[in-house]
Amino acid sequence: MKPMRIAFLAALLASCASVSKIESGAQNIGERMQVTLEGAWNHVSVPGMGPAQVWTMEGLPVDQLLVYAGIKNDELVHAPQSGGARKDFAFRSGMQPDEIVAMFEGTLTRDGSQFRLLKLEPAAFGGEKGFRFEYSIVRRRDNAVLSGVGFGAVSKGELFALLYHAPRLAFFPRHQPRVEQIARSAKLKT
Amino acid sequence: MKRRAFLAAGCAGCAAIGLARAQGTWEMPARFARPEAASEEGGLWSLMDREETKLRRSPFALRDAKLKAYVQDVACRLAGAHCADVRVHLVRTPLFNASMAPNGMMQVWTGLMLRVDNEAQLAAVLGHEIGHYLQRHSVERLRDAKSRSAFGQFIGMFGLVGAIGQVGMLAGMFAYGREHEREADAIGVALMRKAGYDAAEASRVWQNLRLEQKERPDGGYANPLFATHPPAEERMQALAELAQAAPGGVANETAWREHVKPYLHDWLAEEVKRGQHEESIALFTRQLARSPEAAEYLWARGEVLRLRAVGGDLDLALADYLNAVSAGGAPAETHRGLGFIYRARGNAAEAKASFQRYLEAAPQAPDFAMIKSYLEELRT
Amino acid sequence: MGATRLAVAVLVSAAAVSSSAAWGQSKHLAPGFASLPKSATVAIMPADIELFSISGGGVLEPKADWTEAGLKHFKAALLAKNLKLGLRTVALAEKDADELAEVNALHAAVASAIALHHFGHLGLPTKDGKLDWSLAEAVRPVKQATGADYALFSWVRDSYASGERTAAIIGMALLGVGMPGGQQIGYASLVDLNTGQVVWFNRLARQSGDLREPDPAAETVEALLTEFPVAK
Repeated sequence: MKPMRIAFLAALLASCASVSKIESGAQNIGERMQVTLEGAWNHVSVPGMGPAQVWTMEGLPVDQLLVYAGIKNDELVHAPQSGGARKDFAFRSGMQPDEIVAMFEGTLTRDGSQFRLLKLEPAAFGGEKGFRFEYSIVRRRDNAVLSGVGFGAVSKGELFALLYHAPRLAFFPRHQPRVEQIARSAKLKT
Repeated sequence: MKRRAFLAAGCAGCAAIGLARAQGTWEMPARFARPEAASEEGGLWSLMDREETKLRRSPFALRDAKLKAYVQDVACRLAGAHCADVRVHLVRTPLFNASMAPNGMMQVWTGLMLRVDNEAQLAAVLGHEIGHYLQRHSVERLRDAKSRSAFGQFIGMFGLVGAIGQVGMLAGMFAYGREHEREADAIGVALMRKAGYDAAEASRVWQNLRLEQKERPDGGYANPLFATHPPAEERMQALAELAQAAPGGVANETAWREHVKPYLHDWLAEEVKRGQHEESIALFTRQLARSPEAAEYLWARGEVLRLRAVGGDLDLALADYLNAVSAGGAPAETHRGLGFIYRARGNAAEAKASFQRYLEAAPQAPDFAMIKSYLEELRT
Repeated sequence: MGATRLAVAVLVSAAAVSSSAAWGQSKHLAPGFASLPKSATVAIMPADIELFSISGGGVLEPKADWTEAGLKHFKAALLAKNLKLGLRTVALAEKDADELAEVNALHAAVASAIALHHFGHLGLPTKDGKLDWSLAEAVRPVKQATGADYALFSWVRDSYASGERTAAIIGMALLGVGMPGGQQIGYASLVDLNTGQVVWFNRLARQSGDLREPDPAAETVEALLTEFPVAK
């Protein structure tokens, strides 16, 4: 985790990082995913940060909406790490919902944080058969206690997912309804 | 000032391992007074006090009063007159580690609690750490500027609670010299015997760790304590000799099992989630060798095999799950694991039966709705 | 705290792009907030301070005795400053700090976000340039523990060149190469305990300042609490 974090910061310091506004209305993400926002979000982009888009309302240290739009078979769901000291997590098209959630759990706990699955249920996502899950995270580096909600579906062998986590006090309850709305609005093109 | 002499004059092993006190006896020092704030040691003490406060406030601290009191009691009996100065903190981290800071703060990680077989093995590790504490090894070592720098860098970056997976740095920071290790080993054994434990268990702790470590494909160290206390043949030998010189004592396996039972499943689940398949399999296999009927370990090994899914793993996983079920006391997840394998293989009838049993055994499971949907799919 | 390196990098990057003189007062105040009411009580949260030495090779090494001194001097200087400002203050007991650990961790994350996004060059468009962060009902336990109207949080990470580092700096200077001697980064944050809103925030990122002695520590507090919004 530390090497990645330092690389991430190096990119920030080098002013490679940028923020852009994602406006209300229909937004295309990748080639096949579309969501409709009611209210703008902030998209923070740091080169080399991994395949997910990272959106936030309050800033990266507080809340993160991870948008996975078409992860392919064998693709890593996180930034590649040099040194290979830690296990890598790659998506496989044949993965079942429980395996996909376990994969996300793995990526979110690479830094020693603790993850607890609170709920996993089938749910439509993007108009396809998918799943919804709830979780909590205790972040190792600063002891922050986060609540999280995730949605996902595999369509034509590609993974589409949204994960949102924020501090369980004040922030998660504040933004969760909008995240649920974004998930409900998701459409996947075939 | 009370003095106690350990290991009567006839201890042949003591001279061989080069204890500091020339006559082959060792006297427990008097309790330590808090050093001057301005001194180097005082600074270290303050740093540790602040880290201890953070640890106390951290959600990673395991606060179960009963378990904490149990481990505190073991540490206390080992520490003798220093009992009042030792404060045990249990930390939720799935790695084998225990450490003691100069201010008396003792940390025990849950990965260690999972791996020791009995109270005596816990006492061996705690006794070893108390040995370092009583001989003030960390203070001595931190007089060396380079060690201080490594230590400081480590604490500055991660704090103590944040220290996970940074094994390379830990090795540089916590590694004691061989002389210190010998002393701590000898004192640890002496303290164990004085408290009535079977000192033969000390060598076993390291042997067990080594067994697990050998399985790592890259041969690297994942467990901090292992990395910082490499169990060379020489140390194994010395520990075995020390134990032979002082036979007798108890292991207290029953008491140990009873106290960790409420947490065993959680710790096993966390170990499985580490994703270090080979090490986990080695660990669970070793534990099963001691208690072949233990359903929890069978389930855990089945899980890892199912997740690894290489070669004949799924068949082995099936066997472990089924053995867990027939042994009795298998956790509900065993049926779920069976269901996953049957489902993947197209054995619809068995899959249905297993998922059904899971749902019945765990109506409050987080994934109840998902497994129910798998079951319904199979019924159509 | 484990995130020191991250925080150092974040706040230093912020400093590289801006200087406090360039920002008007509004950058430090939440919309609609101008100053503390005269009768307000302010809970002083335990300061989070760490002092480091920088070795010749640029490695940060925490210095426990410096930190001890820094905490002492900072606390005294803050007390004196509060008296000077005419604030009615309540100190938070260490014991209460145990129970408020999660709120403190939450505030630290929010402060980190403010430093990174509001004062750095990664402004969040939805915040529209405003200091608009609120912990909402999460601050209630702090209000309950202290009875205060506001809470003042402070955080400082300060590094000083060690002897070998100073020698290296001089050596490099002779070669015409500049090397930073040390950094002082920190923030002070004022939170309304009735609404949870961060009503005032100041961040510091500079290459001077010394918390190891009383007088320079007082100067650091001055810098940190520049334009603190007391009722005039």
